[in-house]
Formats: sequence, structure tokens, C-alpha cells
Amino acid sequence: MSYYDIDSILTDAQKLPCTFELEVPGLGILEGNPGEDIKAGTRIDLPLWLGEMLSIGARLGTSRLVTLDMPEALSERVMNALKADPRTIDLRALAPHFYNLSERILELFEEEEMVEVLGDTFKKRAAEIADHAHNSRGAVGDGVDFLRGLDETERQLFRAAHDRAKDMRIWSGEAKRK
Amino acid sequence: MAFPLPRGVTASEIAFLAEMETVTIVPRQRLEGLELLGGPVEPLVPPRRASLPLWLALLLKRQRRANIMPPAWLHPEPLSLILEVESGHQDYKNAFSPPPPLPGQPSVLDRGQEPTARPQYTPDGNRYYAAPPFLPQNTAQPVNSSRDPPSLPFHWVEVGNMLLDAASDDLVDPDQIRRLLKDLREVRMAKLRSGVEVLDAAATGGGGVALTGVGSMELGEERGFVTGVVDGLRKIGSSKEQARREQMAEQRANGGYDGTQDDDEEEDYMEF
Repeated sequence: MSYYDIDSILTDAQKLPCTFELEVPGLGILEGNPGEDIKAGTRIDLPLWLGEMLSIGARLGTSRLVTLDMPEALSERVMNALKADPRTIDLRALAPHFYNLSERILELFEEEEMVEVLGDTFKKRAAEIADHAHNSRGAVGDGVDFLRGLDETERQLFRAAHDRAKDMRIWSGEAKRK
Repeated sequence: MAFPLPRGVTASEIAFLAEMETVTIVPRQRLEGLELLGGPVEPLVPPRRASLPLWLALLLKRQRRANIMPPAWLHPEPLSLILEVESGHQDYKNAFSPPPPLPGQPSVLDRGQEPTARPQYTPDGNRYYAAPPFLPQNTAQPVNSSRDPPSLPFHWVEVGNMLLDAASDDLVDPDQIRRLLKDLREVRMAKLRSGVEVLDAAATGGGGVALTGVGSMELGEERGFVTGVVDGLRKIGSSKEQARREQMAEQRANGGYDGTQDDDEEEDYMEF
């Protein structure tokens, strides 16, 4: 993750449900009514970078400002669906940077099982991606629905595999250079 | 990101590297010896075979000044044998057929023998062991004994393709060779891709994927994908890895592993 990595920046902007533990004067702007106070117990979706900062107080010994909850994209329901069949899930609809997000979330939460499920999902989907990438018809054909549901990490994977296969076909004279 | 070329080596670059391989030709015209950067080329006298770099051989072939003798492995029989081993043999279900033995390496037939590599010396007196592409793996008769089973050299995709392109009339049954090469490529690519199943073991340490015998073109083609998968799995597993490291550091700080440790750890966990 580099400082200028656009995917990393976009991951930071993904929303995370947070619950305020304390009453904060004048922060109502987050809720959409500027000038007001935020009551304790209010639930607001905050970007990952902000939620992370506000919740980190707990580690420093001071009382924490907010508690983080699991985002919808990594909820129990999604995990069960991924366990059942990773290939039919539209990860992009859940979160455009699904794996980057889950990586950050796993740093914050201790979820042994989620690591297993996500690793398994990634592997199974990667095998599927490889098959589609080496299909000479590329991204058109039967796999359109699956390929539309790829998250950003998987898209890069698909692009790497597909470009290489195409490069190889062009070199060996099977395909024409476009 | 803005760099227009894909990362890694492109197919045409790999093919360029493969043009350094030595092949055997039968010249049709006389040619005096050439002093090339890569080493001198012997004088060509028509009926006598000569060994040249592939690029020069292809040049002479296109000018109809020489015929290329196909490499020992580029015949229908060895190729179909290798294909049989790759696709049918029990031991090679997930592995690739072994690469040609290095000089001094005992053949596959007599296992357990000590390797007896003989070093060679540069003009400056530095010791080195020859490795591809400086081994004549694509000449008409390989130096290693003929009782070795046929094997695919490192640059088999490139050399095979280029010879089929430029010198198909010198090959024995080029259509069948083309078909066999295509089949071999498909079988091996499928194996390489099915390797993602075990890649997570490689990503979290301890595991690994054997790539012995994989050709350079195959490596170049799968590099982007395989490294991407390993990287993705590493990221997903990084929190677990972090926890494991911390645990190990803790153990080391506590002075190694002993019986009471389990209880301590449990308490720590509860606190956390």
C-alpha cells in the first residue's frame, strides 16, 4: 500500500457503521444538521479513516469516542453466502474494494474464521478468473455476470492474466494485433 | 501506473532472449567464421553440420543459405511421449515433466547417484557452472547420453514456435508437432493455474509450489496472475500472520515454551 495508491485512498473512503459513545458538542454536521450536538448512542456511517481514528482512543487508555461495527459487506449473512458458494456473489455490489476493505477490517477486529472464509473465497474466485482470462473471447460470453461482480483487486488480477494471454497469442501469431 | 508496458517481461522479449539458444544447421553455402559479441562462429562448409545461435540460423534459413536440423526433442515421438507423461502419469499429476539434466547431473534413471558437475573457467580464471542458455539443449544431438528420457528445455515454447514459423519444411511432420506443442501448452498451463489451490500455503509461509521444469514463456505468461494471487492471499492473511508473530515474540520473551505457558496465554487473552 503506497501513499499514492488510488485504491488505498478509495478504500479509506468506504463507510463503516459507528456508534457514538459520548455526547459530542457541535459535531452534528456529520449527521446532517450542522451546529447541533451529537448524542451518545447515535449510529452514523463514517468513512473508514475517520472511524478508525475516533475509535482508536480505546487503545490509548482514554475512553473511546465511537465503537465500530462490522460493515454490511462483511456481515454474517455475506460470510454464510460466501461459505456456500463464493462464485455467485457480486462482490462489487457489496463493496468496490471488497478485499482491501476486509484487510483493513481484519486489522481492527479479531476474526479468525473470516480470514479462512475470505482466503478460500479469493482462491476459488481466482481459479475462475484465470479460466475466464484465458478464454480468447475475453470479457464477452457466458462469464459476463461473474466478471461484472469482481472487486477491484480481482479486476487487476483478471487484467494481468488476460493481457498476458493476449500478448502471448499475438506473439505466436494466433491473434491479430489490434 | 502510467508506464505503458505491462510489468514483467513481454512475450516478444522472452522470444528475443530465446534466440540466443544454439541450434544445429546444415549450411548450403560457404561462409567464413564470424567474430560475434556472443563468441566466434565457426566457418560454414556445406556438407558439415555447424552450431549457431538461433537468430543467425533463422536469418540464414530465410535467405535459403542453410537448413536447420530440428532439436532432438522437437520430433513427434519425444513430444507425444512427454505429453503422455504430463497428462497420464500418476507421479506427474501436479508436477511438470523434468527439465533436461544439467551436465554432471545423474539421469532420472539412476537416482541416488551423486552429481558430478565439472566446473568450467572463464578466460579470467573465474569458475562457473554452465546453465541454460549456454547449454546446447536445442542442438540436433544433445551432449547428454541418449538413454535419458526426452525432456523439454527451458525455451521450448519459443524455439518450437519460431522453428515452426520459419523452418517448418525442415521438421518431421510439422502439423503434428504443432498440434502436440499446443496440447502440451494447454496441459501445462492448466497445471500451473490449478496451482492457485496450494498457493495460500506458499503465501503464509511453509508451503510452496514446485516450478521445476516450467519454461520461460510459461513463467512469463503466468507471472502476473500468480504473484497477484499470492499477494492477495498474503494481504487477507496478514492480520493472522501478525497475531502469530506477536504470539511467537511473546513466547520468546517468556523464555521459550514450557508447560505453564498455556495457562498464561489464556489469561492474557481473556484480559484482551
